[in-house]
Amino acid sequence: MAYLLQQFLTKSAKAYPGKAAVWARGQSITYRELDERSNQLAHFLREKGIQKGDRVGLFFPKSVESIISMLGVLKAGGVYVPLDPQAPADRVGYIIANCGIRVLITNSEKRASLTPETLSTLECCLLTEGEGEGCDVIAWSWLAEFPAAHAPQVSLIETDLAYILYTSGSTGRPKGVMISHQNALTFVEWCAEEFQVRSEDRLSNHAPLHFDLSVFDVYNTLEAGATVYLVTEDLAVFPTSLASFIEAQAITIWYSVPSALMLLLLHGRLTPEKLKSLRTILFAGEVFPMKYLRQLAEVSQASELYNLYGPTETNVCTYYKVERERLASMEKLPIGIACANTDTFSVTPEGKLAAKSEAGELYVRGPGVTNGYWADEEKTHKMVVPNHFQEHFEEKMYRTGDIVTVGEDGNYYFQGRRDSMIKSRGYRIELGEIESALLSHPGVREAAVLAVPDEVIGNRIRAVVATHIAGSLGVLELQQYCAARVPKYMIPELIDLCAELPKTSTGKIDRVKLAAEPVGAR
Amino acid sequence: MIESGQVKDRIREYVLEEFAKTKGIMQITDQEVLTKNGVIDSMGIFRLVSFLEEEFNVRVGDEEITHDNLESIDAIERLVIAKSKK
Repeated sequence: MAYLLQQFLTKSAKAYPGKAAVWARGQSITYRELDERSNQLAHFLREKGIQKGDRVGLFFPKSVESIISMLGVLKAGGVYVPLDPQAPADRVGYIIANCGIRVLITNSEKRASLTPETLSTLECCLLTEGEGEGCDVIAWSWLAEFPAAHAPQVSLIETDLAYILYTSGSTGRPKGVMISHQNALTFVEWCAEEFQVRSEDRLSNHAPLHFDLSVFDVYNTLEAGATVYLVTEDLAVFPTSLASFIEAQAITIWYSVPSALMLLLLHGRLTPEKLKSLRTILFAGEVFPMKYLRQLAEVSQASELYNLYGPTETNVCTYYKVERERLASMEKLPIGIACANTDTFSVTPEGKLAAKSEAGELYVRGPGVTNGYWADEEKTHKMVVPNHFQEHFEEKMYRTGDIVTVGEDGNYYFQGRRDSMIKSRGYRIELGEIESALLSHPGVREAAVLAVPDEVIGNRIRAVVATHIAGSLGVLELQQYCAARVPKYMIPELIDLCAELPKTSTGKIDRVKLAAEPVGAR
Repeated sequence: MIESGQVKDRIREYVLEEFAKTKGIMQITDQEVLTKNGVIDSMGIFRLVSFLEEEFNVRVGDEEITHDNLESIDAIERLVIAKSKK
């Protein structure tokens, strides 16, 4: 029985050595090659001093080397940290410092984008592309010098960390969700059973690797001995190309945020013929508008559709298998019921279990739930709390911050957030993180960041900014200032400048008033 | 009749002002792959196409919104010139 993620690879490499494991940009790698390359990388990392629990960053565009790197780090006993290849240097530098990354797998272009301060903290960079320089910048070809037949001996148990995923943090800095092998395996094993992933399956990987949706694509592929087809940016941006890719590669299982599926529906020229290979379509990360879900169901008659729900801290904790016969009359899509080996319950603001008709915050307990945030005890204590419903021993539960109700059909329904976190294209965004970025500008006096609902991407981001001196700051200047501090999907698309923000009677920024006014009103 | 040089200048100016600069990217070459560093993403591509349609009075079908046709400023210019000759 597997208790570590890399054991899925070891098992499948024995069973299907010559079978393609990973495909990207027309190239593929077999299970044997993936096993051997990741063994070599693991030996290399051990030689560079990586010990059990040490963090290794991955900072390069999605490619076959991404998957080799994830597995190589795990086999070395390390913890991998996927970094958004498009994130600004300041944010990448913060994460590298926050979790103490000393060894970074990157390419020469991405390495050159790092600040000198960040570079000075790195002991070694391994380049997936580009020439090595000396003993601390090493070319990928150097891995051939290391043993391929077996991984280094490292004693690991299921509660050891496997990876850290950074998400938006309300206090202005991203926070690292620590995921153990057991956390990930609980999810992967549930998926394997529920979706019956088999070796003949061809999974797509649409989500970026720093986004938790990719965990299913990668590890359920390895678990089943299937093949994963990585959707790189040359495909992801172009809906008709993406539709042709699904058809040409005969993808059988698709998983993405709903907005990616909506763009396919709106501009991909989808036909039932193009989607005929798809037996399962999974989506998560944001609310799927019913209008588009009905269109998707129409064009993918042969597919089973699933709405998966869960913050990164729990992988996925509830799911709803779409009942096609209910689609015509259904007004809102449920988030469903708890996954196997996961317990969910909703709690009132008074801390009591919500009654059947009552709204409450969704709490989750089980082996899929994170131990908390890297080097942030305060935030961890706030979100991963003692389960006071358990009287006989100590146990923890995670507060999702999502308000839910239970419907007549027994399913949970998402009603909203209890804080100012929003979703855009499935990305979690703390509006406070953007406000902090704006407020750090010396010319900014006050800033409020608001979500403007959008049918396709969920939310667009609008900022209202009061400056110290009228006319001293331009919209573009503020956008560029944000671009150096937050990921691209968090840069306010709309910025209104004004002399002062409206206030409530208690002197707080009147967000209700701001949200009610037309965009560009100031 | 649109002059080739003018077309490219307009496209470059639009991409730079609307997409690149707002993301903190201050310059781009005519050969640079615009999707690679996130200058243009899955939503941006449709804003770009709407601009091309309005600015150059051409019609770009969904099936023409591909990497080959729109990957760089050079590629976009080729597409616009080819379309406006029809």
